[in-house]
Amino acid sequence: MIPAALVPAMPHLLAGDPADSWAELAAATRTVGDRLRAAGVDTVLLLSTQWFTVLGHQVQCDDRLRGRRTDENWYAYDYGHLDHDLAVDTELAHAWADAIDAAGMQARRTRYDGFPVDTGTVVASKLLDPHDEGRWAMVSCNLYADPAAMAAVAAAGVRAADQLGRRLGVVAVSGLSSGLTARWIRPSEDRVEPEHDRWNRKVLDAVRAGDRSAVLAMREEFAVAAQADSQFRAFAFLDGSGAVDRPGEVLAYGPVWGTGAAVVWWGEHTNTRET
Amino acid sequence: MARVFHATAGSGRSASRRAARTEPAPAAAPSTTSGSGGRGGIVAGYLAPHPPHLVYAENPPQNEPRSTGGWEVLRWGYEELRRRLRAHAPDVLVVHAPHWITMVGHHVNCVPNPRGVSVEPIFPHLFRYHYDFRTDVDLAEAIVEEGARAGLVTSAMREDGVRVDYATIGALHLANPDWDLPVVSLSANNNPYFYSDASLAEMETLGEATRKAIEKTGRRAVLLASNSLSHLHWDAEPDLPEDMGVERPFTHAQYAGDMELLRTIREGPTSRLKEAVPAHIEATSSETKAGSLTWLMAAMGWPAIAGDVLAYGTVIATGNAVVEWVPT
Repeated sequence: MIPAALVPAMPHLLAGDPADSWAELAAATRTVGDRLRAAGVDTVLLLSTQWFTVLGHQVQCDDRLRGRRTDENWYAYDYGHLDHDLAVDTELAHAWADAIDAAGMQARRTRYDGFPVDTGTVVASKLLDPHDEGRWAMVSCNLYADPAAMAAVAAAGVRAADQLGRRLGVVAVSGLSSGLTARWIRPSEDRVEPEHDRWNRKVLDAVRAGDRSAVLAMREEFAVAAQADSQFRAFAFLDGSGAVDRPGEVLAYGPVWGTGAAVVWWGEHTNTRET
Repeated sequence: MARVFHATAGSGRSASRRAARTEPAPAAAPSTTSGSGGRGGIVAGYLAPHPPHLVYAENPPQNEPRSTGGWEVLRWGYEELRRRLRAHAPDVLVVHAPHWITMVGHHVNCVPNPRGVSVEPIFPHLFRYHYDFRTDVDLAEAIVEEGARAGLVTSAMREDGVRVDYATIGALHLANPDWDLPVVSLSANNNPYFYSDASLAEMETLGEATRKAIEKTGRRAVLLASNSLSHLHWDAEPDLPEDMGVERPFTHAQYAGDMELLRTIREGPTSRLKEAVPAHIEATSSETKAGSLTWLMAAMGWPAIAGDVLAYGTVIATGNAVVEWVPT
């Protein structure tokens, strides 16, 4: 079974003075990183909804992504300035792109100096892999493609990894409801509005029950009712990897600036959580 | 279909192209009275769509990718826009663009000299643009202040590490490729996952605040609303991005929706757009949802005039129009 996780995309998880929920979500994401390492994962297939695209499926093919991201919204905070140093498994990335093409979709091999790595990818990688020791294979989130296409993209990644003999982990970086609080707030003020909270919990209940069909069936309604992040393409991606046909363990759930965020783990439960 | 794209930003080839060009001296910010000597205020407003394909097709020295052209009719419309813009002799260009997405509030770029390379994450094969321009910081700060006074959440962005987005650069480049006028750049306070036009009321307030700031600072300003129209488009691309053999509207309904809006624009008065824009958004998923056109109209005070449509065309199936409004 491929270990998999859903982790938040918002940079607040790296705040020096976090809200309780931000700290809990960050700790849970670190736990996922510990579990991926314990599972002996070679490479993580990563989808971040903050790397959203509209034409084809971009696969990152640069072997090293070093730099500093200054977030265009959160620059006034400590967590708006993010250094990153990511090692890309380019052999898998190219094989993944080939598999996407072979499946009748359009892969776009992306390798450009100065390419702006998205905030979600940077945040997740810093928490999952704090010592920059892991390897990644990353794909963009096409907002104009049918969400089912994201499942096919993930399946292509799994096939490519199988052919290369990689021990794989799959991570989707995405929020749940995206009703952001439209003003500057103190961390202690952070909360999810009740209707969005109800929807988030409904989705997470189905995830806990291992009812992937129910999650997929409610995806569109969730998208409209709670402005789900990227119409919850993240779950379609995870589903395509074949990793979520079992109960998910919700390690944390809470608000991030009004949006709903959760850390969910699908895989062997290992008691490695750090405090 | 698959290809590997790899180019080094600032490579020797592109650097030599840039060096070979005689760059105009960056314009200094004007003083508190109109630098042109003419009357201050908003002297013209343009709908100035920003698809990066148009910059790519122009092959300017600032942009690394090379093309064989394409989308000529829209680019000819921009040529006419440039001629008219010169005649207006503005002190400053003020642009509102939907791809500087700020989730909390309306941000105004107050960096005096933004410069860098904007590698566009959605279209990196088309847009790797070396930008270097001057901000009219006094006007930028005045817009922040007037917006806050009107009850908006506003921020003065002073971080030069924030990459300037392609919608800002695209509209500014296409309107003024010499970059010899100071600029004020406004963000779009949008959550891209919203399903409504709820932000348009705030865009009206922002437009009014922009006008007050321009009047207070005595600037002679041209405003650019960096929006496309109908916004459904393909999710894949031909091998040759500028292959005009496959360029067409997404559907006839999308095209018809654009024509209905443009008829309203051509007939005037602009106040009809208060109803027409939301209807157009509903019908075509128009990018005007981001609010740039509403901001522009509100800044101009919804004048009782018609717009002059300089060009219309599709880009990866989205509708795009270049339109001028000149207040009387």
